Parts: sequence; C-alpha cells; structure tokens
Amino acid sequence: MARAMWRGAIQFGLVTIPVKLYLATESSSIGFNLLHEKDLSRIQMKIYCPVDDEVIPRSETVRGYEWSKGKYVVMTDEDMENVPLKTVRSIEIAAFLDADAEEAGAQFVKQAYYLEPDEIGRKAFYLLKSVLAETGKTAIAKIVLKDREQLAAIHPYAKTLLLTTLHWPDEIRSLEELSLPEDEIEIKASERKMAEQLIASMDGEFDPAEFRDEYREALMGVIEAKVAGQEPEPMKKAEPTKIGDLMAALEASVAAAREARRAGPGEEDAGAATADAKASGGRKPAKKAPSAGRARARRTEEDGEKPARRRKTA
Amino acid sequence: MQPAGVDAPFDDDDYLFEPWWPGVRAITFAERGALRLQVAGLTDALGAFPELGELTGQLAEDGVVLDGTLLVLDDAGRPDAELLRARLSGGTRPGRPAYVASDLLWAGGQPVTRRSFRIRRRWLETILAPGDRVTVGRGYVRDGTLVAEALSALGIDGLSARQLSARYRPGQAGMAWLRAPIVPADPRPRPTLALILRLPLGD
Repeated sequence: MARAMWRGAIQFGLVTIPVKLYLATESSSIGFNLLHEKDLSRIQMKIYCPVDDEVIPRSETVRGYEWSKGKYVVMTDEDMENVPLKTVRSIEIAAFLDADAEEAGAQFVKQAYYLEPDEIGRKAFYLLKSVLAETGKTAIAKIVLKDREQLAAIHPYAKTLLLTTLHWPDEIRSLEELSLPEDEIEIKASERKMAEQLIASMDGEFDPAEFRDEYREALMGVIEAKVAGQEPEPMKKAEPTKIGDLMAALEASVAAAREARRAGPGEEDAGAATADAKASGGRKPAKKAPSAGRARARRTEEDGEKPARRRKTA
Repeated sequence: MQPAGVDAPFDDDDYLFEPWWPGVRAITFAERGALRLQVAGLTDALGAFPELGELTGQLAEDGVVLDGTLLVLDDAGRPDAELLRARLSGGTRPGRPAYVASDLLWAGGQPVTRRSFRIRRRWLETILAPGDRVTVGRGYVRDGTLVAEALSALGIDGLSARQLSARYRPGQAGMAWLRAPIVPADPRPRPTLALILRLPLGD
C-alpha cells in the first residue's frame, strides 16, 4: 500500500495502540496541466514577492498568522510541533457512542482513513475492533492532522478500523438560514401510501459497483479520441421534446381509456349509462344533473357560433 | 379566475375537461410584439423562461391575454416538477419550458371575458397556432370520468373542468372552473413524484 500519511497511537484509558493512517479514498477526477498555448510547454508557478519585485524560492517563505490587520506572527515548523495538545501524535478516544445514535453531528464527515496497527499493537487493535463491532459502538476521538486538531469517529470496517474526520460543531451551519416550515406539513394518508409505494418499488441493496462517474468516462473518451488524432464525436443532441408530444400522449391515453371502457367486462357500453353511473359517484356542488344521451362530443367544435374574428364589441 | 374544488371527476356536456397539468398558472400578455408572462411570486418570468419568447410569432393577433399553465418538460417530454422548481428559483435553466394555453381573456386589444368559454376557447384556437413549446391544450367535452381514467394512467393527479357556457369570472370561479382530484389507477398505482410533491398552484 501507499505511504502512511500519519503515524501515531490510539489512546484510551491506559491503552496505547500504535497505528498508521492511510487515505481511504482518492480523487478520480481527471487532472489537467496548464500549458503555454504557443509551444505547449508546462508553465511554472513562481512565488513572487511584490515588495522586492522578484521571484523568491520557496525556502524563503514562512508561515504567518495575521493577528491584527497587516501584523503577522511567524509560526515555524518547530512551533507547530510544540503545540501543547495531548492529541499530537495520538488518536485520543473521548467517548464511545451507539453507532446508530447519529446525533452529535457525526453525519458531517470530511475524509475517511484506514487504520493499520503496528505489529506490536495488533492484539489490542483487534480487541478494540471486535468489541466495537459486537456492542455496536462508534468511538469519538480527537486527532491532529495537517496542523489541525480534528474530531473523528472510528468504526469497524472490513478487516480494520475506519477513521472518519468530522466537522467541528462550530463548522456546521445553522438550519436557520433555510426557509423550512415551522409547522409539520399535513400529509394525507393516501399521499403517504403513494409515497411508500414509490419508495418500495425502488427498494434495493446498495451496490457501489452499479454507480459510475459518467462524466469522467465521457471526458476520458474525448481525451482518448484526441490522443488518437480523431476529432471527438460531438455529443448527440437529444431530439428536443415538444409540447405536441405531450398532447399526443394524452390523446393516446384517452383513446386507451375509451377502448378499455368499451371492452371492459361487465361494464356498460360507453355512453349515457356509464356517464350517469360515474356521475353519481362524483359530486359537484349543487348543479344540474349531467345531461346524458348526446352523442359523444369532441372538443369545443359542437358550438353553433361562427368562428368569427369580430370581437371588437366585447 | 380561481378554481373551486370538487370531490371527484364527473361527466357533463357543459364542461370541457383537461388535465390539471403539473405546472404553475401563468397569464400571458402580448402587445405590440412585447410579451409579458405573469407568474405568482416571480418578477421576471420571461427571464426564467426565455424560450417562450417565440410565442409572439404564433399569435395571429395583437393585444392578446392568455390564461394557461407553465410547464418544464424533461428529456422524455414529461412535465417535471423538479425542473420547474429549479427554473422558478432562478439561476439555472434546465429542461424545456412549455406553455399550455387554456383560456383567452383579451384579443385584438379588447377584453373577451364576457363571452362564454365555448367561444373564448374557439377563438383561442384560431388565434394561437400550435408550436413546439406553446400550444392550446387538448380538451374533451363531457367525458370527465373517462379523461380522469386516462390521466390516472399518465400519473396526473388533477382534472380541470371549465364550464362552456360560463363567462370568465374574476376571483372565485364558482361553477365556471372546477378542479377534481384523480386517484391513481388500480390495481397497480403508478405514483409519480409530480403527484406526491404537489406543486403550488400559482396565482
């Protein structure tokens, strides 16, 4: 495996388990290099000091904290190493929570890391793992990574433990900024039932292999075509959808419903009887009985008035 | 004109039945080549739906006011609540907007609201030529329950019923315009998101 990005020890109570940390994920986005358009050479970023008006080497740079406008205090690597925190070089477990008690902001994860126990700590490491798994607990810990103290959760994962760094509570933005309803939204039983059916129809197991980054694949396809010297095939424009198609779908559906009524077993033939039967089911606020018996009318064409274009008098 | 609710679809030959398209109510004003789209809560509706500017080219007359529904269609041509929501909230402009006109309020610079809906609808069809994005909706006289059955198969949850003999009524429409809910088809209901995420009805 790749280089460990951190080395330290899990600590809780008097127990110390030396471990290494590895990034559990990697970015698979396609990287580009900036080139000089004229000769396609890689360009370089130089560190520039505007006071001296010259390019300076990285070795001449230091880390500064702006404690007041334009006033800096310099923090050396040594200063950083000496930050007086118990969590330096350690993963200090503060508490064990029920794994499904996902309150306390444990949903706001940043980055996942694999833990690898040093040989000397293996037994304690797997003891911790098996107890976490059996009791269904998650460990909440603090760790210093990249100069920053981080909050983290530790869960059993496959043959190891997974450490996920979490956002601090003060980094989690308030819901106040959103417009959310004050009161509970009233949901009718029928609506709930429909939603449940929809969700049930899409019920499935999560198989990550089913999901792919399609943008990346398409971009890679374009790149490969260019490497091979071909002009990439432009994306096929989807046939624009037209509102007329929607009207056609409506017509087809009405025709199908008409056909179903005509053919429906036990149903009266389409016509007055059906109309009356249905009308007695559906109520309109006090209104004359539906007039039946007329030949099935289509659209508005049945009116007798002339389609005149003389409406100035209206 | 605001619709009144009724319990269920019905049949009546004084009514024109149309789908209650899952979109927002929009009043369109066309005068001297300029177009204005009035959608509740949106100051610049035409900015969010610029494609609908082509509507002016479909009108046979000037000084026209239309009443209809603004939709956003997905790639498959179905009205999509989420795409519409994205458009209405501004910023992005996904999907293809469409406008289904149902009623005519003004024509030739004159109000026609005192005419019966039967006549207004007829005139609407002569004034507004069907296009790729804007069209007069397909309506059916009398067969409300039949149209409701068809709509439940399409996953549309409302039926609009406009009274052919009624004039355009400002405010509450009374009997002139009714809305009936449609229950999904049995035995296998096919709920859609548009159905569950009930869209606001605009103005």
